[in-house]
Amino acid sequence: MSFTLREHTADVAVEAAGDSLGDVFAAVANGLTAAMCDEVAATGDRFSLSVRAESREAALFDYLDELIYERDVRGVLPADHDATVRQEGAEWVVDASARGVPFADVTARDVKAVTYSEMRLEEGDDGWDAYVVFDV
Amino acid sequence: MTTREFGDIELRRVREHVWEIPQEGEMNAPARVLASEALLEQIGQDKTLEQLRNATHLPGITNHAICMPDGHQGYGFPVGGVGATDTTDGCISPGAVGYDINCGVRMMTTNLTYEDLQGKEAELVEALFDAIPSGLGGGGVVTGDAETIDDILARGMEWAVDAGYATEDDLAHCEDEGFRDDARPEFVSQKAKDRGRNQIGSLGSGNHFLEVQRVTDVYREDVAESFGLEADQIVVLIHCGSRGLGHQTCTDYLRRIEKEHADLLDDLPDKELAAAPAGSELAEEYYGAMCAAINFAWVNRQLIMHRTREVFADVFDRDWREMDMRLLYDVAHNIAKKEVHEVDGEDRELYVHRKGATRAFPAGRPELPPAYADVGQPVIIPGSMGAGSYVLRGGDSSLDLTFGSTAHGAGRLMSRTKAKQEYWGETVQEELREQQKIYVKAQSGATVAEEAPGVYKDVDEVVRVSDELGIGDKVVRTFPVCNIKG
Repeated sequence: MSFTLREHTADVAVEAAGDSLGDVFAAVANGLTAAMCDEVAATGDRFSLSVRAESREAALFDYLDELIYERDVRGVLPADHDATVRQEGAEWVVDASARGVPFADVTARDVKAVTYSEMRLEEGDDGWDAYVVFDV
Repeated sequence: MTTREFGDIELRRVREHVWEIPQEGEMNAPARVLASEALLEQIGQDKTLEQLRNATHLPGITNHAICMPDGHQGYGFPVGGVGATDTTDGCISPGAVGYDINCGVRMMTTNLTYEDLQGKEAELVEALFDAIPSGLGGGGVVTGDAETIDDILARGMEWAVDAGYATEDDLAHCEDEGFRDDARPEFVSQKAKDRGRNQIGSLGSGNHFLEVQRVTDVYREDVAESFGLEADQIVVLIHCGSRGLGHQTCTDYLRRIEKEHADLLDDLPDKELAAAPAGSELAEEYYGAMCAAINFAWVNRQLIMHRTREVFADVFDRDWREMDMRLLYDVAHNIAKKEVHEVDGEDRELYVHRKGATRAFPAGRPELPPAYADVGQPVIIPGSMGAGSYVLRGGDSSLDLTFGSTAHGAGRLMSRTKAKQEYWGETVQEELREQQKIYVKAQSGATVAEEAPGVYKDVDEVVRVSDELGIGDKVVRTFPVCNIKG
């Protein structure tokens, strides 16, 4: 899986790719981390999170929103993301984990929120691609 | 007829600085861009015009969707966008307010002159940076329990007065006297409150900052005198918003609209324009929650101003009251408010969405505090940390052209990723100090690079257009002395 930070006039965009839905979700999350911090310390404990939503795109949105929420309430920078995504009936379920790097160990900038603006989540011949704009 | 084309969008020149995208297809109104030729050329380079055209699809949009002179691409609704929708058969759009509800600026005046400050710049910038929480995880001036959060959400600056962080005079010099009585804390989610509790009184990061400035130019002596401004005076400008609480509130309601009003959303060209139909339960709940977040943001800026007063007292070794540190005005940039405006000869109540735009009411509007009732409200337009900022007053033409609005800043020109390739934070800081005597202190060099003066449009041009259109009249120009960023 991989990600690239893309240009956006005021905010920041992440373009990501992964072999599976879970991989591409985690790749976008790694892009979110990179948008907040240039050098991530190798400290912190892993924590888990889970979301369920009515569509794949909504699941990606809620997953990234939950990471931003956990960042603020735990006081950590979520990094080194893992995620699996599965369908349960009409819902999409994301089970994920991240390493929570204490803010004291990094110099990080705020990303306010995930947006639906220009969001893309598509399956191609080589796996999944995603494009997400974050509000800075 | 003069026209300009950007991609598939054609704009027709209505008159100087006024351009129109005619109504066609599914648009519910035409769109207008208020810009000089030079600014329009910049506005046309990204997706601003496409987003503005999309905004005309909002139900009940009245007259025009309007882009201010500093407009640029945002998400959904463009930054620098103004859209008024009918409160009975229109809609309210969290996407047209933005995530940072009541992101805004305030200016505090002092009786200090630049000469009083010279020699103390380094000490002052360090002291401000130490005292005022900023960046990610920097905490807040206050850590609130559940009761405190609800009190702040319900009462805004009135809470700050009771808690000893504000004076009655501060309330009298804030938009809406520092609190929205439509606030409904019960419609703000627990998640949002969780995020806000340790961020009360914090700058955050991005383009938010605190800047000590000196007044360099006075354009309208009589208005400046009414505002208590004069040449060489030291003032303080604070720019920040409702922090995680506001961001989460917007996110929560975007998702609820997606689930509960999918039909309306399907008719809009961009999901980020998410809107709730006027009169729906969701519209009422969002309005109550948004007003609560507005209150939170006012308290946020008030606590930072309180700390600033304490820092000045330490550095200048005298009580802040002796330095006459008064709130000039506090204006919101990201907001939707019920306001009455004349449309086709009739008074109508509208939700006026301003996203990256400032209310600019002229003299005579009933909403203005007594101090500005006869002169028009102060409008504060921050420039970059290497350029001037402006204080305007609400212009007489603003009610006809922009539902009483003008620009909110210089407007970005360059992306953050490109800025970090073009600039090195430490070099920018050194050049500002050595060449312009501006002292900058930030959490990281990357923040300074992302906010380097060269990434912004020419604030002088933005203000010139506002002044010539008569939507916001130039009063004074200021120039940075010290700047802190998250």
